[in-house]
Amino acid sequence: MISKLMTMPDAVRLVLNGQMLAVGGNALHRTPAAFCQELAMLKRTHLKGVGAAPGFAMDVLCAAESMNEVYFGFFGFENEYGLAPGMRKGIQSGKIKAIEGS
Amino acid sequence: MGVGGMWGSDLIAQRPEFFQIMKSPFSDEEVVTVKALQPDWAIIHVQEADQYGNARIIGSDFQDILLSRAAKKTIITTEKLIETESFRQEPKLTSIPYFLVEAVVLAPEGAKPGICYPTYNSVDASGMAAYGQAIKEGKLDDYLARVTGWEGVK
Repeated sequence: MISKLMTMPDAVRLVLNGQMLAVGGNALHRTPAAFCQELAMLKRTHLKGVGAAPGFAMDVLCAAESMNEVYFGFFGFENEYGLAPGMRKGIQSGKIKAIEGS
Repeated sequence: MGVGGMWGSDLIAQRPEFFQIMKSPFSDEEVVTVKALQPDWAIIHVQEADQYGNARIIGSDFQDILLSRAAKKTIITTEKLIETESFRQEPKLTSIPYFLVEAVVLAPEGAKPGICYPTYNSVDASGMAAYGQAIKEGKLDDYLARVTGWEGVK
């Protein structure tokens, strides 16, 4: 078996413009925040996001305008943190197409 | 693919691009079918993984195991790197097997400012406030440079 260890800067470069990402975790629980923050620095565009209840990590990619389409059941932070602001801004401005399927 | 549990939902009529009703090939019964998405990547943060991509989620896995199966390839970020022997000893605790995985990144505190049970169990309020403020002021790049340590140079 070969080692698949990579640095974060190398790993985020695997993601290319226009690809579809299923982002794990739930709201503010165990979302790949560090990965998505690093990926957001690359300014990828036209990414599609998928998740049942995406939260922080996917919101960062929405705020960075890397995502232009999101498929979800619920998208938010919950409790005192409320809605996900990057997602909300993107959808309200028409830059992100929301496909809600719950 | 066929799904149960959609009968009675307005989504069947509202989203014909995703939901269609078909006759079962095995009987006269009608079944709801849903268009499957095939993500290029599943991006999953876990508590423990080895260098080959075997990954273990502790606590709720939400939909992450399904996401890893649906996607073409998975990228794992992990709180801790552990020995492969640990996966051999407890094979039923492997959430995502190595052959689904393209890359493993060691990322301690990789879910912050959110929670990663059982290592950090409460939301980092100041981190969340900094993120919220950055979005409000349109200064996301400054925030990203700070949290990634890139400072915009790479």
